[in-house]
Amino acid sequence: MASHREDWAIAAPGLLLLLLAFLVPVGSILALGVRTEGGEFTPAYVIRFLTEPYYLGISWRTIKLSVVITLVCALVGFPFAYIMARVGPRLRLWLVILITLPLMTSVVVRTFGWMVLLGRGGLVPDIMRSLGLVRRNYTLMHTEVAIVVGMVQILFPFMVLSILGVILRMDPRLEEAARVMGCTFLQSVRRVVLPVATPGIVAGSLLVFTLSASYFITPSLLGGARLPVLAGSIYETATRTQDWPFAAAQSLILFTAVLLLLFPYIRLTRKAGG
Amino acid sequence: MTMAAVELNCVTKSFGDVQVIKGVSLAIRKGEFVSLLGPSGCGKTTLLRMIAGLEKVTTGSIIIGGTNSTRLPPERRDIAMVFQSYALLPHLTVRENVMFPLRMRRLGRKDEQQRRVDEVLEMVQLGHLANRRPRELSGGQQQRVAVARAVVSRPQVLLLDEPLSNLDARLRESMQEELIQLHRQTGLTTVFVTHDQEEALSLSDRVVLLNEGRIEQEGAPTDLYSAPATPFSASFMGSSNLLDVQIEAAKGAPCATLAPGSALPLEPGCAAAGPATITFRQEDVQLLPADAEEGILATVETRLFLGSRIRYVITAGAHRFRCLASPGHSFAAGQAIRVRIPPGRIRVIGRTLA
Ligand SMILES: Nc1ncnc2c1ncn2[C@@H]1O[C@H](COP(=O)(O)OP(=O)(O)OP(=O)(O)O)[C@@H](O)[C@H]1O
Ligand SMILES: [Mg+2]
Repeated sequence: MASHREDWAIAAPGLLLLLLAFLVPVGSILALGVRTEGGEFTPAYVIRFLTEPYYLGISWRTIKLSVVITLVCALVGFPFAYIMARVGPRLRLWLVILITLPLMTSVVVRTFGWMVLLGRGGLVPDIMRSLGLVRRNYTLMHTEVAIVVGMVQILFPFMVLSILGVILRMDPRLEEAARVMGCTFLQSVRRVVLPVATPGIVAGSLLVFTLSASYFITPSLLGGARLPVLAGSIYETATRTQDWPFAAAQSLILFTAVLLLLFPYIRLTRKAGG
Repeated sequence: MTMAAVELNCVTKSFGDVQVIKGVSLAIRKGEFVSLLGPSGCGKTTLLRMIAGLEKVTTGSIIIGGTNSTRLPPERRDIAMVFQSYALLPHLTVRENVMFPLRMRRLGRKDEQQRRVDEVLEMVQLGHLANRRPRELSGGQQQRVAVARAVVSRPQVLLLDEPLSNLDARLRESMQEELIQLHRQTGLTTVFVTHDQEEALSLSDRVVLLNEGRIEQEGAPTDLYSAPATPFSASFMGSSNLLDVQIEAAKGAPCATLAPGSALPLEPGCAAAGPATITFRQEDVQLLPADAEEGILATVETRLFLGSRIRYVITAGAHRFRCLASPGHSFAAGQAIRVRIPPGRIRVIGRTLA
């Protein structure tokens, strides 16, 4: 009991800061979405969002893209993190620098880079054309593929670093034990490393999913006006039409969706934590 | 010719430029319990890992059960290993851990596998914990799971790398007894790595003493204990004293001169005159009062009460040595005494190199 009270005492300053700097501003924005100008409760904005096919389409695209981005990050990130964990410490340091270096440049700059690479006459369509895959004047710009490519590049480090942490903490003897018990190399990765690294994969996926669901610069620039996502729509609503209550209602829906995702995650990690 | 279970032929191992195993040849009989003993860094773990296939052999060959396994990966060798850290799979229960080698090696049908797992878990008295996860077990229980998991597939060779070193002294003793029991029940060929000479002596049929990547001496525990062949063996087999002395063969019986006027008699004909190293065990040193008729003059430097025994550090001239005595008679630190060692208990182990 006493230790519980001590826990709270230690956490208090942090909680207070969180309350002032995060919960209050976010809370007041979200409240905007369910209040009339007079200050009474109204679900009108939320209902409007949930009944208009245009906005449902945006939501569906947001979820679909976030899932694909998360899957691509996890599928590429796990082997990448495993290799990073198994090379020597020097090479690992270089690899960490290599994948985090992009984080140090502006997202806008990197996105412009992708626009050049993916656009008409850019490097990627050129290569595809010389391989005979596409016709002239082919462009990857303003496609969902472009959004996925751009977002994966931005969010990849989050996935890799959270998986890397778990694999580095794992006893390397576990894999050797698996080999001695009859596993081939691939079986030992599949039956030992993968299950042990699951908490890291789940944490990384959560990060990547929530970040990609709430990113708007890259999807807007690479996807264009024809492929809006929820975060972009919130931005448009707030800045262009200046419909603040409706923008707040959309934020509320995004926020709730992400929260709903958190609960199974907490369950999962609690189970993995024994 | 009977086939050895494991045969090492001139095995060497280099990490980069550093050669850590410098030519080891060893044949282990079927059902034999062999200990690899040696100080830290002498290459015990490396040698064991080469038998397991976890470390590449630089030169030489390893033959397991008649199959040249030098280049085989671990999963294609018929072995099992207990790691010092146990290496239990944390996401599996005790039962699933023990089942794992049977499943991966596809040994027997599902119900046979179940039966075998139950059998082995009973053998190590863990039946009631079968559904726990490793982190919910004590160190001793984890150790037993690791052993159960290793013996369940009845491998050609069971390899153990200091499996008891993480346990406290009492638990270690009872686990040693259980290991002997288990070896008797299963008859598995066993290679046991340890740096604890008592453990090696009490468990094994044969002790292989390693020193800097080479076999220093091998033999039955009693041989190694009572007849160390080199100064290294003598000092490593513990509780032995090593003294550099001058052998003098005056008047028939030779004696080892520690200082002018103070000489220990030796058995006739055991060594020629000249400088040499002698060795004798701590428990063979007899302490007598200073006014005794025989023995050489010496002084008690320190006295250590160990419970069942008392350990003295004795100085005689420029020499120091240890003595393990029963608590019957007692001498104080600083006291002058006389020391006698039965001539048959002193071994001359070659010329001093210095
Ligand atoms: N992967 C490695 N790379 C380089 N050197 C190594 C490697 N593994 C072991 N060594 C060296 O090989 C020598 C033997 O190591 P090994 O682990 O076999 O010793 P050991 O007898 O098991 O010692 P301990 O009783 O401390 O476990 C040591 O000098 C060690 O530094
Ligand atoms: Mg070792």
